[in-house]
Amino acid sequence: MADAERIYEAMKKSIETYDSEAAVAAAEEAVAAGLDLLEAVEKGFANPIRELGESFHRMEIFLPELTMGADAMKAGVEVLEKALDEKGGKIEKKAVVVIGTVEGDIHDIGKSVVATLLHANGYEVHDLGIDLPATRIIEAAESHGADVIALSALLSTTMLYQRDVVELLRNKGLKDKYYVLVGGAPVTQAWADEIGADGYAHDAFEAVQVLDEAVEGRAK
Amino acid sequence: MNFKEIAKRCETGPLTESKDFLMKAVAANAMKLTKEYDVSWDGKTFVNTDDEMADRCFQAGKELFTRTGIYSMNSSRVIEFSAEEVDEALRFTPTEVAMGAGKDRVSAHHRQVEDPRKPFVFCGPFNANVHEDMFVRLNEAFGREKIVDCLFFPGYLNEIDGQLVRPTSALATRMAILYGEWSREAVRRAGRPDMPIAGHAVMAPGEIACTNEEWGLRSTDPRAIVLISELQVDDVSMTRLAYYQAYGCPIYMAFTPLIGGYGGNPAGTAVVAVASFIASIMLGGEIVHIGPQHMNYKQQTNQHSLFLASLANQAVARNSNIIATTSHTTSGRPGSAQYAYEFSALALAAVTSGSNVSGPRPAEPLGFNNVSPLMGRLFAEVAHAAAGMTREEAAPIVEALYEKYKDKMDLENAPKGQPFEELYDLATLEPTPEHQAVYDQVKEELIGLGVPLH
Repeated sequence: MADAERIYEAMKKSIETYDSEAAVAAAEEAVAAGLDLLEAVEKGFANPIRELGESFHRMEIFLPELTMGADAMKAGVEVLEKALDEKGGKIEKKAVVVIGTVEGDIHDIGKSVVATLLHANGYEVHDLGIDLPATRIIEAAESHGADVIALSALLSTTMLYQRDVVELLRNKGLKDKYYVLVGGAPVTQAWADEIGADGYAHDAFEAVQVLDEAVEGRAK
Repeated sequence: MNFKEIAKRCETGPLTESKDFLMKAVAANAMKLTKEYDVSWDGKTFVNTDDEMADRCFQAGKELFTRTGIYSMNSSRVIEFSAEEVDEALRFTPTEVAMGAGKDRVSAHHRQVEDPRKPFVFCGPFNANVHEDMFVRLNEAFGREKIVDCLFFPGYLNEIDGQLVRPTSALATRMAILYGEWSREAVRRAGRPDMPIAGHAVMAPGEIACTNEEWGLRSTDPRAIVLISELQVDDVSMTRLAYYQAYGCPIYMAFTPLIGGYGGNPAGTAVVAVASFIASIMLGGEIVHIGPQHMNYKQQTNQHSLFLASLANQAVARNSNIIATTSHTTSGRPGSAQYAYEFSALALAAVTSGSNVSGPRPAEPLGFNNVSPLMGRLFAEVAHAAAGMTREEAAPIVEALYEKYKDKMDLENAPKGQPFEELYDLATLEPTPEHQAVYDQVKEELIGLGVPLH
């Protein structure tokens, strides 16, 4: 037990020091010690990365640190996932999310922060990138078996393409299959309502809250 | 440096991943140089008054730029510049840019810190969504405000006959033509037919479509390009730049440094901002617009943004000839007193720091036509009044104004304001008595706080 606590502490420290190599080493040690790997994910990586996310929100740390911390977590979790997979287990995800910036819009930062925080909070996230036509977003959602389509737009003009994604989903009879979350500087709750999106978040933290509530609602 | 050479470097510079550019080139160097040059924020100051730190901030930003260059997002290549090329570009930066024609010709100047010369005022709808029925009318009202030097971003026409317009569609090109026609018609009706119009039709084909010497945007109108945070360009911007350069328009280059982003805190982001000012000059920008973004706010009157705007503007004002202008984006919306408190606070900070002014606008307008030419007048009056004030005089007023709105910076609690058609009598194009009363009340308050609005 003491060994487990020591390893969890090493995992936590790897996140706090943004050290991917240390995260991998600690994860490998957890596997070698025969620890409960699901517990290792939660205590060693998930809790610290959530704390890092909160520090980011309070502006105690900034985007580079959050990105490096998330990279460290990703590297460590990959080790644990591989070991779990070999044993026939897997890490439960809250939901599968595809996320991207819509067509004509090449703004990346806000969308990437949302992707990072969703991943840190237990979502399987597929970041599709920027300037994405509606068809490509929907194809990706289908191929990844997504539950959520998250759409970012930073321009008043390009936010119209969020509507196109929703309309194309309706046209294909897929609208009820996905929870569509929209965000970005010009986007508002009123716009989300107008186009028939399921949720709106004004920042990355709210995106996590909105999806958590949606997932809880689905579970009931 | 000529445009052809820059376009060539877009295709031949070293290949790198976007994330590596942002993390290894921008973030790592920004953090290192901010520390090395001792650029910092004490967590309290609203308006920087430390000249030596402003100079160090400039040196740090210049060194950052020579280490990073500019990232071409579509080609995944870095447009690199030598220190000598940067020095040469800064040496030949124009200190004055003329816009408009005939009796409506005006010039924007490089300003010094605490410069007594009046700032140039870019003012208009600032990309608010404007309905086609009201487009000419409300832009005419901005044009009637003689204190406004250049009609600024006459508004997005994103709907026609009830149809939302996709930005890359043929309908968008039609809208761009109307944008050019109606903007020109508005300033003609205002009695200023050759008034400069800073245009921004967003997509490259639209920019070309709205250009016409007779009825649209002209070679004497400044045209805008926006860099992507941080220090990045895309093919669309470069295409527009190629066109404007060839057509001879003054180039209005904007950038949006992200506080809490790759520069870190407001001091580190000021270093990134200086690098972005220089990047704008290297790309051919003649008027350079800083519009700070923030991880937690959509507006630019929070304390971090106020400090950043003051420090970065002072750095370039003291160490270059760059013609800087600062964007003013607020939480409060047109029609509310808070709107005026916010843009006044930022205008006082920016103008005393050597900037010209662009704005104002609400971060989150409510529907169409959420603009006020009367508030544009007050914005310009405050900016003019700030010319000649010292930073020490401006700072306590900025702080006092901040106290008035600090608890209502989140957009849900910020005043909702009203659309143009409720703030103005559309027959006379005069403000309603109620709107005039808000202007009068805030002006009295500003005078009471020490703003020389006489």
